[in-house]
Amino acid sequence: MKRILIAIVAMGLVLGMSGAALADGAVFGTAVPLTGPYAAMAEDMKKGSLMALEEINAAGGVMGKPAKVIVRDSMLKGDVALRHFKDMAGQGVKFIGGNLSGGISLVANEYACKNHLLYIAYCHTSLPLGKEFCGWGFTAAVIPYQTTAALANFAFNKLGKKWVSITADYRWGHDILGGWLVNSKKYGGEFLGNIYHPLGTRDFSTYIPKILALKPDFIVLSNYGTDQTSAIKQFAELGLTKKLPVVISKTHIVTIKETGKAYNENVYGSVTFYWGLQDKYPEAKKFVQKFWKKYGQPPSADGEAAYVATKSLFTAMNKTKTTTDVKKVIKELVTMKLHTPKGINRFRACDHVREQSVLVVQGKGAKAKGWDVATVVAEVPYTETLQSCENNKKDIPYGAVKLPGK
Amino acid sequence: MDFLNRHKGLKVIGGALVAMAVLPHVISVPLATEIIIYVLFAMGFNILLGHTGLISFGHAAYFGLGSYFAGFALRYFDASVWMSLLWAAAIGGLVAAAIGALAIRKKGVYFAMISLAFGQMFYFMALSPLKKWTGGEDGLKFIPKLKMNYPFYLDLSDHISIYYFVFFVVALSLIAMWRILDSPFGRQLRAIRENEDRIQACGYNVTMAKFYSLVFSGIFSALAGGLMTVNLGYVPVTSLYWTMSGTVVMMTILGGMHSFIGPAVGAAVFLFLQDSVMKIIDRWEIFVGVMFMVLILLFREGIVGTLQQRFGARTSQEAAEG
Amino acid sequence: MFGIPVEVLIMQVIFGLALGAIYVLLASGLSIIFGLLDVINFAHGTFYMLGAYAAFMATSLSGSFWVGVAASVVIVMLIGAMTEYFLLKPLYGEWPFYPLLLTFGFAVAVPDLMKALFGLIGKVVEYPEGLVGAFIWGGVLVPKYRLFIIIFTAVVMIALFLFLKRSDLGMIIRAATRDSLMVNVLGVNTSRIWTTGFALGVGLAALGGALHAPMVSAIPDMGVEMTVESFVVVVIGGLGSVGGAILGGLIIGQVVSFVSLFAGEYSQVAIFFAMAVILMVRPRGLFGEAGRL
Repeated sequence: MKRILIAIVAMGLVLGMSGAALADGAVFGTAVPLTGPYAAMAEDMKKGSLMALEEINAAGGVMGKPAKVIVRDSMLKGDVALRHFKDMAGQGVKFIGGNLSGGISLVANEYACKNHLLYIAYCHTSLPLGKEFCGWGFTAAVIPYQTTAALANFAFNKLGKKWVSITADYRWGHDILGGWLVNSKKYGGEFLGNIYHPLGTRDFSTYIPKILALKPDFIVLSNYGTDQTSAIKQFAELGLTKKLPVVISKTHIVTIKETGKAYNENVYGSVTFYWGLQDKYPEAKKFVQKFWKKYGQPPSADGEAAYVATKSLFTAMNKTKTTTDVKKVIKELVTMKLHTPKGINRFRACDHVREQSVLVVQGKGAKAKGWDVATVVAEVPYTETLQSCENNKKDIPYGAVKLPGK
Repeated sequence: MDFLNRHKGLKVIGGALVAMAVLPHVISVPLATEIIIYVLFAMGFNILLGHTGLISFGHAAYFGLGSYFAGFALRYFDASVWMSLLWAAAIGGLVAAAIGALAIRKKGVYFAMISLAFGQMFYFMALSPLKKWTGGEDGLKFIPKLKMNYPFYLDLSDHISIYYFVFFVVALSLIAMWRILDSPFGRQLRAIRENEDRIQACGYNVTMAKFYSLVFSGIFSALAGGLMTVNLGYVPVTSLYWTMSGTVVMMTILGGMHSFIGPAVGAAVFLFLQDSVMKIIDRWEIFVGVMFMVLILLFREGIVGTLQQRFGARTSQEAAEG
Repeated sequence: MFGIPVEVLIMQVIFGLALGAIYVLLASGLSIIFGLLDVINFAHGTFYMLGAYAAFMATSLSGSFWVGVAASVVIVMLIGAMTEYFLLKPLYGEWPFYPLLLTFGFAVAVPDLMKALFGLIGKVVEYPEGLVGAFIWGGVLVPKYRLFIIIFTAVVMIALFLFLKRSDLGMIIRAATRDSLMVNVLGVNTSRIWTTGFALGVGLAALGGALHAPMVSAIPDMGVEMTVESFVVVVIGGLGSVGGAILGGLIIGQVVSFVSLFAGEYSQVAIFFAMAVILMVRPRGLFGEAGRL
């Protein structure tokens, strides 16, 4: 027994040494779910972040020393993500980021608030809202309700007024449904009904009779990942996507690929970045070409957000000449211009949201080829989607909506 | 394999406690904290698996419910840390008793599947219908910064203090567990594992013994869950998901289920390896899965069991000579 | 909010049947494996996933969905036979849970292996030409592909029953399910029967995966939930009974379908409640044999 103990302790000693002192120079510690159902999207975040790092280091690093990005696997579990962040914080890391789950993002934000770390979310997150916001968290993507504002503008003007919604029954789904209800009122829409489904639903056909009975002009689909794929494929199976438009509150290039032909011209979705933007912005072209060459695939919205977050953070450190003073870096981040693939953006000083547009994309169905799977049909500027700071602080009007059945 | 030789057993526990006491000075503190929580979970689980011979694929239910009830106590009732742990343990025992009443009479495989199904039921309940209290997919958040007020003040957001707080609870639990398993009741459990029909024929109430074994196992597992809440200041809904049960099974088998301390070694090695491998490759699950299959095919007694087989024989020989 | 006309109820039954058909395929395979080998196959959902991937590969190579489905079953049966031969065989006669644990390890490693081999992004299997869309019969919408799945599964199940009842091999399988030692004594190579039975069982899972693939796409993690849900189905039906698996699958299909209609958010939790209720009323499952467990 003693021998075993000695062996264990010795092994630990050897391996323990190697992990020490992460925080030497500029370090950005991130955790994304590299395993599990969102692995493809997480991988993209990792790539975006590492590409930004490479650019920073090629330009001389941070204060003359190479910067470092740590990427850990959160396994899509809050406890694992939190352990990684604690681990990094224990070794002196002051800047953390990542995520794909809105829930875990809020947990990471809460941890950053309690321990005075800077946290940047790459994903859609409610961290700028109400009591979630504490001044230490940043949003490199958007607040969930912003996508509904962008889509509603498009849908109620182009597709009709009567809508039915299918919503995944969790926090993000509820936020999105609230967003649609507010915007429906704004654009004179007529809400016919909503169906909640649990996360991880594979069969949506059982909801279809109910929807058809209501005769809507379009369906709003608010779920993500494989749930979204299954839903669209099954709508297509019934020939539904041929006549009835489907508006997806938040979509992803990976999901469009996984859905295939069924994601046709009658299916609309929102993203914060699509590689097709390269025809519009020269910065996007440079970014997309470089990314594609390096990794053999175009960047997704997640890849872009991670890229912008990483690059902005290190740039701010360079400008303030500190790799440890979190408050100084925060101050710099909210004053500086962010040179992003979508042109000049800023982090809004009052709630640290990235002021960026939301895109409405349309599927290509059978005409899709390789990565050319969607068309950008609208780019809605942030001024149309983002609420004022006061509203965000009170979480109105979206947070005040009474949801059906809740 | 008589691992419950009292003299040797106490040495083993002492050794384990010493190893745990130095652990945070060897590896990262948050990882060490998680390891000793899983040590308690795996050893609690092993009361059922290794000592009684019943396999459950639903132990995430006890761990997760323990986490949630500790979280409820802390968040909604302003309970003290000690009180929340008590709550966790109590709910673990109650739920285990309820599931035991329904399922303990079932033979092995049935029991494994039923426990799994019950576990998933709790997960889906927490995920959707009960999310007003559980926070649904977000998990239970906004638990205030934790501190211990009794017997002395301790700020539990400090990594080292939370480690030693958890260590203290785990150490007490392991000693309690030892007392339980070193009793006639414990021996009866192992006899059931070896030959259930015979024990039945000898006039023992096998069902009741199994039932109590499940209840004890539930209590310790839920206590581990409660500790996890205190450690994280948050309850992730994945703590109820069945892969959590799968993980604890893997840890226990890895360390060796036929040894008292085996699951502890298994938990430590599993988490440490997982953490190290995932830093190197993204596709670490292949590694873990294959390692587990190799273990089952070639080293069924796990790390401790295999080492005992290799070295144990020699030591007893030496002892006989000396 | 929703008035429920009769047509909707009929549609709900049909959708429930189609959903149940997938469960029937998976659960009957699980039941055959358990009956014969006493192994709970934790990798059943993994083989279902492999079925979907094999269907994707064969479909994209041959251009025909039907070749894809057939090839998928054959490929996965071969993988299953090899798995049984190399990984499970050494474990028979040991503690009965070792085979179960081995399949658990398999279920951890293989989906990740698929990610490494085929990339992280799932693969699309398109609906076969001619089965897209729906008939409308007096206000009732009947999707063609679902109808096909129901009929096809019924045919497969009848064929399975005929195979088990009438053919020599089927007879031996049934006999070995009862008492494999006796069958061995009578001069039959039971070892080969086990391999065949395992291959047959995972072949049914693969068929489920291949048929499901157009509806959900082939995604590495698709099998995780499926394993647990097929467990529920066989527990309801009675372990080791193919008839029970069929009935259990149909029940669960209807439960999910109707709970979706009335309270969508409870559709997943409902199957576990259904299981708890049935177990309380009839502890050994609907078709379970009293002596066996």
